Amino acid sequence: MNLNDLQLDALREMSNIGSGNAATALASMLGQSVDLHVPTALVLELADAVDAVGNPEDTVSAVIIGVFGDLDATVLLLFDPESANALCALLGVEGDPEMALSALGEIGNILGSSYIQAMGTMTNLHMEPHPPIAMADMLGAIVASVLAVAAADTDLALLLDSKMTVDGTACKFGFLYVPSGAGVALLLDRLGLGEAA
Amino acid sequence: MAELVVRMGEIAATQHAGDVLVGLGLGSCIGLVLIEDRGPVAAMAHVVLPESNGKAGAAGKFADTAVPQLIREVTSIGATRSRLSAVLVGGAQMFATAGRLDIGHRNEQAVRDALQANRISVRAAATGGSTGRTMRVYLERCSITCKEAGREEIEIAVWGGLAQMARAA
Repeated sequence: MNLNDLQLDALREMSNIGSGNAATALASMLGQSVDLHVPTALVLELADAVDAVGNPEDTVSAVIIGVFGDLDATVLLLFDPESANALCALLGVEGDPEMALSALGEIGNILGSSYIQAMGTMTNLHMEPHPPIAMADMLGAIVASVLAVAAADTDLALLLDSKMTVDGTACKFGFLYVPSGAGVALLLDRLGLGEAA
Repeated sequence: MAELVVRMGEIAATQHAGDVLVGLGLGSCIGLVLIEDRGPVAAMAHVVLPESNGKAGAAGKFADTAVPQLIREVTSIGATRSRLSAVLVGGAQMFATAGRLDIGHRNEQAVRDALQANRISVRAAATGGSTGRTMRVYLERCSITCKEAGREEIEIAVWGGLAQMARAA
């Protein structure tokens, strides 16, 4: 996987539209505006990929959504403890770790499915999310386990990273889309930029 | 003291007493360490997937390619082939309900198979379960530890005749 600037721009734009759709869905659920930061598209050596996301030993809350259909991918949401608490407070489920994870899973479901839906429409590809899995663990363990699946055929990982902030709260979180190596080629093909240069 | 962090797919070997080999946040990946039973010589691979199926990649990425490469690296800095043993950390099922994502168990099996094929015994293992772990190999005291998120660091193996005698004294 060796992507040129044009291809990276197209993937970033696709991610931007997907996460815009996701942020809108979250805002209407929370009744609070959600700020979307400019997304990044990074092609990284596997060894560098975890560090690009965060400190591997930090404990984070995560929601993982496997995506299947025409291509395999994973949507990954990462909340530091402060952001997870802020979001749970907003949802009225603070204090109970089980309830908090379940609520984060539901948030992930809404974000993930609206993201995937926008992306599927844009590329005319069939994409369907698995049920979300919510967990709290070391960032490295979570991110590396997601990357392992995507990186069977390549030593490079593509990370499409959008950061969101819930206005008026301390809740900031990372929203990552990690396609498999074969998936990247298919996405580019549908965006009219196939045959990686 | 130098911390040598071994990231996804990487291998590091050392015989310097001050070094610490580190595998941070191992989930479905395996921190695979070979030690020479007499003293401070060790190598660590951060294994990501079970089989290479002939694919090229970083040496430590696949269980079947990591084991022979670890043996080469650790013997090249003075370890004796017949005195090697292994310690494994990781191989968790991080995402229990997602079939496609469930490779921790396959990783552990592939690492154990590759070790057996190379006649290397497993001295200790902290594997399976569903939580991430950090592995540290302290060359100075010939000690290997494992730490889960939010838990204490615990020692899972010591090696080296001289180091063990010094402890007992």
